[in-house]
This record gives sequence, C-alpha cells and structure tokens, in this order.
Amino acid sequence: MNNPYLPDVATINEIIQETHNIKTFRVVLNNETRMQEFDFSPGQVGQLSVFGVGESTFVINSPPTRKEYLQFSVMQVGEVTTRLHSLQEGDQIGVRAPLGNAFPIESMQGKDILIVGGGIGMAPLRTLLLTVLDRRDEFGDITVIYGARSPQDLCYTYEFDMWRSQGANLVLTVDNEFPDWDGRVGFVPAVLTEEAPSPKNKVAITCGPPIMIKFVLKGLKDLGFEDEQIITTLEKRMKCGVGLCGRCNIGTHYVCVDGPVFTYAQLQALPSEL
Amino acid sequence: MSLLEEIKAKIKEELPGLDCVIGWKQGFDPLHATPHFMRTEQDVDQLIINPLCVQNLATYLPGMKERKVGVLVRGCDSRSVVELLQENLIKRENVVIFGLTCNGAVDLAKVKNEIGFLGRVNQVSFEQGYMQVKTPQQDYRMELKDMLLPRCQTNPYSSPVLFDHFFGQPEDASACGQGGSANLERLENMGLEERFDYWQYHLDRCIRCYACRNACPMCVCRDHCIADTRDPHWLTQETDVQQKWMFQLIHAMHLAGRCTECGECERACPMDIPILSLRQKLNREIKELFAYQAGVDPKAVPPLLTFKVEEANINERGW
Amino acid sequence: MAAKTYLTHEDIAKWLEDMSAGARVLAPARVDNAVLFVPFDQHNELVLEHKATAPPKQAVFPQTETLLKYRYSKDPEHPETQSLEIREALPQDKTVVFGCRPCGARGFVIYDRVFDSDTLTDPYYKARRENTAFITLACDTAENTCFCHWVGSHPADPEGSDIVLCPVEGGYVAESVTKRGQELLDQAPGRAATSKQEEEASSIQDRVRKDLGEAPDISSVPASLLQLFDNLDFWNDVSAKCISCGACTYLCPTCYCFNITDEASGLTGKRIRTWDNCMSYLFTLEGSGHNPRMTKAHRLRNRVGHKFSYYPELHEGLFACCGCGRCIQHCPVAVDIREIILRAKESADEQSISA
Repeated sequence: MNNPYLPDVATINEIIQETHNIKTFRVVLNNETRMQEFDFSPGQVGQLSVFGVGESTFVINSPPTRKEYLQFSVMQVGEVTTRLHSLQEGDQIGVRAPLGNAFPIESMQGKDILIVGGGIGMAPLRTLLLTVLDRRDEFGDITVIYGARSPQDLCYTYEFDMWRSQGANLVLTVDNEFPDWDGRVGFVPAVLTEEAPSPKNKVAITCGPPIMIKFVLKGLKDLGFEDEQIITTLEKRMKCGVGLCGRCNIGTHYVCVDGPVFTYAQLQALPSEL
Repeated sequence: MSLLEEIKAKIKEELPGLDCVIGWKQGFDPLHATPHFMRTEQDVDQLIINPLCVQNLATYLPGMKERKVGVLVRGCDSRSVVELLQENLIKRENVVIFGLTCNGAVDLAKVKNEIGFLGRVNQVSFEQGYMQVKTPQQDYRMELKDMLLPRCQTNPYSSPVLFDHFFGQPEDASACGQGGSANLERLENMGLEERFDYWQYHLDRCIRCYACRNACPMCVCRDHCIADTRDPHWLTQETDVQQKWMFQLIHAMHLAGRCTECGECERACPMDIPILSLRQKLNREIKELFAYQAGVDPKAVPPLLTFKVEEANINERGW
Repeated sequence: MAAKTYLTHEDIAKWLEDMSAGARVLAPARVDNAVLFVPFDQHNELVLEHKATAPPKQAVFPQTETLLKYRYSKDPEHPETQSLEIREALPQDKTVVFGCRPCGARGFVIYDRVFDSDTLTDPYYKARRENTAFITLACDTAENTCFCHWVGSHPADPEGSDIVLCPVEGGYVAESVTKRGQELLDQAPGRAATSKQEEEASSIQDRVRKDLGEAPDISSVPASLLQLFDNLDFWNDVSAKCISCGACTYLCPTCYCFNITDEASGLTGKRIRTWDNCMSYLFTLEGSGHNPRMTKAHRLRNRVGHKFSYYPELHEGLFACCGCGRCIQHCPVAVDIREIILRAKESADEQSISA
C-alpha cells in the first residue's frame, strides 16, 4: 500500500546560491525507477525532509519537461530551511512529492501568458514558465514581469538569457535605484500598471510576497482582467501535505490538496482566512 | 437591597467607563457557572455570585491589553491580580477591582466523590453552610466546608488584598485557610522513591492539553511555551511520562514565587491530576527562604525577579 | 442479523478474559479519579455505568505514533559521505474496545471518511481500524451535556460499532452489527435473549430518548457559520472566555488534527505523529511570523466551522461531532458548543433579515 507519509530518499546533486538567503537545490531520487517514473504537473509541491529536524513545503521548481533532476528553491526562514542551507552536495534528504494541485495548463493553451513575480515568488512561476517555453507552440505571447528588492535578490539571473532566447519577453525591475543596475526601477505592481498589458485572451499568473500579490491583484483588476483570468499560489504552514492534519485549510479547501494553485475567482468564493 | 443587587448596581454605574466587567453567569447546568463579560445592563442582570463561581477571572486580564476592564475577585483571586501588577503584566489604571467576600468555592471533584455522578443534576442550592444537590434519583445534602476547593483550604486571605470597591462584611469569609493541603502533607511524608512512583502514576494519564497552563493567570507566555518549542528542544512531542513530568517541573519552577495558589491548574485538569501540590511545595520553600508570599503587596518585588547581595535566610558560606 | 443474546455481568468478565488471549482488550476502569480505557485486567473493576472520562480514541488513533524510523550512517573510509535509511513502522496490534458508548465508537465514522477515502489511505490508521473491534454499550442514562441526537445519532446507535449491548436487569441484551461482531459474539458465553428481555432493553432505550428531549434543527448551521465568517464581533464574543487549551480537542472522539515532528538521537531518530490542537496559537504559525489564525476568536471560528460547516459540506451533511458533550463537561470555563451553534443560527438569521 502506498504510504503517503513515507518520503523517497534523495541525493543533493547541485546547490546554487541564488541570493544571500535563497539556495536552489537540484536533487535526484536514489531509487532510479522511482526517479524515471516520477510524474508531476507544474505547480505541484513537495515536502523536503531533513531527518531529525522536520519537513518543509516547496514548489517543484523544475518543469516536467526537464527531468534530469528535481529542483527546489529554498529561502532560509526557520528551523528546517536553516538546516537545508547547511547541507552539501552529496547529502541525503527526503522528498515527498508530488503534492497539491497544478496550474491549469490546458485552459491556458492558445492564450497569451502574463507572469508577474516577486522575489522567491518566481519559484513556482519558473516551473510554469519553462513548461510553457518547452511547449512554445501551444501558447501565444509570453511576458514575464519579475522584480525584487535589489539586483542581489533576483533569482535565476543565470537563466534570463535562456528565457529570452526561448521566446519570453522579460521585464525586470528592482524596488530602488542601485549603482550597478541600469535596468527598470519600480515596485512590481507599479511596473505592471506601466506596462498595461491587455487582458484580451490572456491569463495572468502571479506569486510573491503577500503585499505584492495584494497590489498586483488590484492592478490586474484595474486593467480589466476577470477573476477567472487571474491565477496565484498560496502558502500555509503544512505538515501532512495530504489534507488531513487540519492546519492549512481555508474553510473547506485544503491548500495542500485543493491548492496551492487557485484562481482569483476561487479565492473570492472562499472565506477570507489568508 | 441584597448584596448581589448592590454589586450589580455598582457595576452598572462603572460600566460606561469600562470596556467590560468580568464576572460569572449561569453555565450549562445547575452545577456550573461560567465567566461572563458584561457590557450592557442586560448583561449585568445575568450576574450570579455563589460558591459555584469557581473560575479565577484574573486570567483574562493580561489578554485585555490596553483596554480598561472591571473584574470581580475574592480574597484568593485578588492575589492573582496583585501578582500581575507586581510583574507589570497589567496596569493599575486599566483595572477596576470589585472585591467580594466569599464563603468558599465548591470543588466539583469532591461533589463527584460524594454523589457519584454529576451528569444529571437538576438543582443546586446553598443555605446556612449546606449545599443541596437534587438529581432525578436522590436529594443530597452536604456541608459546604467539606466540599471546598484546595485554594479555600490553604489561602488565608479571606478579603481581597486590593480593591476599588468592596462588598460584604469581612467577617463573612470565615472559611478561608482552614484545612491545609492534604495532598502536600501526604507527599511530604513520603520517601523520595515513593514520591517518584506517585508522580509517575499520576502523570501517566496526562494528555498534554495544557489546560493547567492556560488556566493559570501567571502563564502569559502560553503562546511561546517551552512545552511546544523546538528551540531549545527541551521536550519532545511524545506522550511518555518523562516529557509530561518534565513539563510539570518546569512549569512549577517558572511559577516559584509567582504562584498565588488559586488552584486553577488542578481544577482545570480534565484527568484530575493533583498538580497543585508541586506548586504549593515550591511556594512553601519560597516562604521559608524569602519570607515572601506571592500576590499580597502590590509594591513588593517577587524575590526571584530581583537580586540582593545578602539574603537574610541564605547563608551558604557560613559567614 | 442473528437473534439477540443475553449476557450476564459474569458472562462479560469471562468473555473479556477469553478475548484477551488473542487481542489487546481495552475496557473502562478507574485510574485515580478518572475512568479510562485500559488493558482489561480481572482484578481491575470495570466502570460501565456512565461514559468514560476520555473516549477510546487512542485505540485507533494513539496520541503518539511512530511513522518512520531513520538512520544516517557514515562510511569510515569516506567520512564525508553519508547514507540514509528510512523504515516505516506500521502498527500490528489487534484490539477489542469494550464498554464505550455509541458516541465514542461513532467518532471513527468521521475519521473513516478522511483517513480511508477514495483518494487517500492513511496506512497507520487503516491498519489499526481494521484490527479494532468495538463492543459498545447503549446508554441507559442521558447526561445534561449529551446531544448525540442533535447530530444524527442516538443512545443505541450501532454506526461504528461491531456489537451493541443494551443494558437490562442483570446484564445486557447483545446484538451484532457487523460480521466481525457476530464472530466475537459467537465466542461469548450467554444464551438467547427472551422477548421479555428484548422488550426491557427497548423500553429503557425509549426512556433515554425521552430524557434527551427534542433536538433543535441544526441543518442550517453550516450555512449560518459561513455567513458569520467575517463577523469578528460574534466570534470575539463567543470566544471571550475560552482559554485556548486543548481539553476539548483531546477529549473529543471526532477531533483528528495532528502534528508531525522529528525526534533525533544522534544519527538515528524517528518521525512521529502526535495529536495537535487547533486552538493553539502555534498551530498555523508560519515561518515568516504571519499567523492566519492569530487570535482565539479566529481559532474557535475554525474549530466550530470545521465541525459544523466545512466537514458537513464535504461529507454529505455529516457533522464532525458525535454529541458526547465531553468538551462541555471538561472545559475549565464551561464553554458550551451547543450554545455557540444555536447563537450562530440565530445571529445569521438576524444578519440576513437586516441585510
């Protein structure tokens, strides 16, 4: 019988220091068959275990189209993430994945994609972006508005050229002026409003700090986006990851099962307990 | 005007200047009273004061933050208010103390031992030192002084030690401080191994609900408690006796010199574990060492919250 | 369903003794001032007159259980490397729970729908559930705090039990509910119940139901609670006296929230599941410091909401409450959940009238 609490043992193959407090981990499940058969959809998450310390939830950051490894980007915040950050390549961790629901890719086909991300919020969006880029023909224009507090807080900088070359229109911004930055300056919601993308035949997906999401949602609504056209991912304290332990629910919906991906329309229908 | 009417009138008078006044009202059955937050005149009309009003209302005060509230206290729970003041956990100008005299509060555990089953009580009344309980099967009559809570038996302060308004005659409260702590005496007469077995036996049934901690007026750190934290990782989340006993010992230590022996911890325990004696023991030690009792003098500084170069009763070096 | 059996108290004692040979038999006995489900011991008097202090929840859902054990090992030749081994620790016991009330056994009907559903099987729960039999006593007394009839149950409700024993003079009239129950009953000493005994059992049941009184209609409560979700005045009011402990949660036969923590001991350790309490501040506290349920008003709203609104909405109207009343009896400040849901019903009606 499948035991939903039992993680797979995995090895850390590569660690990339994205920013001063974010590291990206590329892991491979030790069991080769399990790794080959591992199937997931963009948006789904996994629980990483550091045994003896605990588990924490992270989005599977790599797309299902690039399965040489599973990638997770981790911001150092608490006990588990601090221990994760102290691990080296070759160390063993546990992976319990995939959990949760996925971005509704099928409903996005044939449409233009607008991705609006802030800071570590780019993690789930990267999964979606790379999936969409790998299936380029199925989608229209792809625009990414990505901002962070400073140039040092931007993640995946080493991939920006690849995103551009594969067909994404990339708008980068930082919150304030910086000496070594000659790009756009402004908060992500402000840049969104300036870019003024049309809602016609478009789907907007956003993720970032709660305050950013709040203003991005407002910005999108002001631009004329309908509730069904806006998608976001939620974060909650999670333990079981399978909708049982009672922690991550918003009313009847468990963020670990019915989420973390929600449309704005769905969020409006739920009680407001974010 | 009866005493209750007098109290209600005073509360109604003070109500406009206060966020609420905390008292008691009738609970879910004749044996139970429940805390009551009075904001309107109709609320005040529901106020009851009788030996079944067992809850120590001071426990709500730290949560009231900057709001100005009134609270009803008796001798024993007025000490909790004073202790909170001593530790600057509440501000004097934010609390209006309605002081009551009291003839004792009922220990439902003792009533249960007397009548066996508390689930079908139809009526409870008090008169002339007796408590009458009616069930469908039988009527019971017991002496109130035999049915009192541990705090009634050990707390010698029959009148509130601090108050803004006082109701009743001081000589009414004669029941306080009679009887002592049977559990503590029994423990003191045990050898160390026997005591260890005693606590292993009793704590085995603890379910780590922390009713004891949350009912305590002094446990203002309940949301950041050593029992739940992983940094430092003093306790695991397992339910073996070791963890539970460790928690009780830590709790008792954290209350040393602060516990006013209101006994809510023991009363709140759904498993009837006699934990009050741990705290009473520490208080006894504090009294011997520092000649100090918690929650009596608002100006006093609790001995473990201060430092003296020379202590009157501690002479380790024989100087 | 086979014919009913009459068992005397002596029959019961022998039956429990026999069953103890092949399974862990848990029965209510006195433990100091409490009555708890403990392994049956002949010398320990059974306390069956009224419901036990705690329900038999631990038989199927223990307060602590090990999910897995792990071990890191280092190769002395290559100390910079490590290997990791994890092993699940599935339960193996067979248990018979004797002497619980219908409310206690029925709690697991609520668990079953989430722990063993079409989409998810919790193997630890399933292993215990499948190997635990419930021999339930129907109630012959209704307590002031009993409200099983509000939530679709009754004092002799067989749902969740394998055998139901109805008290009569000198013993019980037993009726099996499941095949497993029948197998157990076949092993019991006893004789066929007479029709007079069956009538006696029946009339006692009628009396108890009468004692319980009328149940109010709470079918609109799920919608009322949702309507009141943003009404923090209401929730602040009903939660004012709550002290946010876990007495109600841990004594509730239907509460199933849990925590998963790792307990390490050098290079080895275990991952354990323990009961957790949604009334605690820490329950939903996120690493960033944000807490969606920051005050006790929010947490009580979630607790009552889960039991009387969210769960019924997901599970065909079944309330996640069995009406045993332990939360009311053991709450240190006498919070009464019946009062809360009735007030919710009333307040929501008023809110919609004024809207």
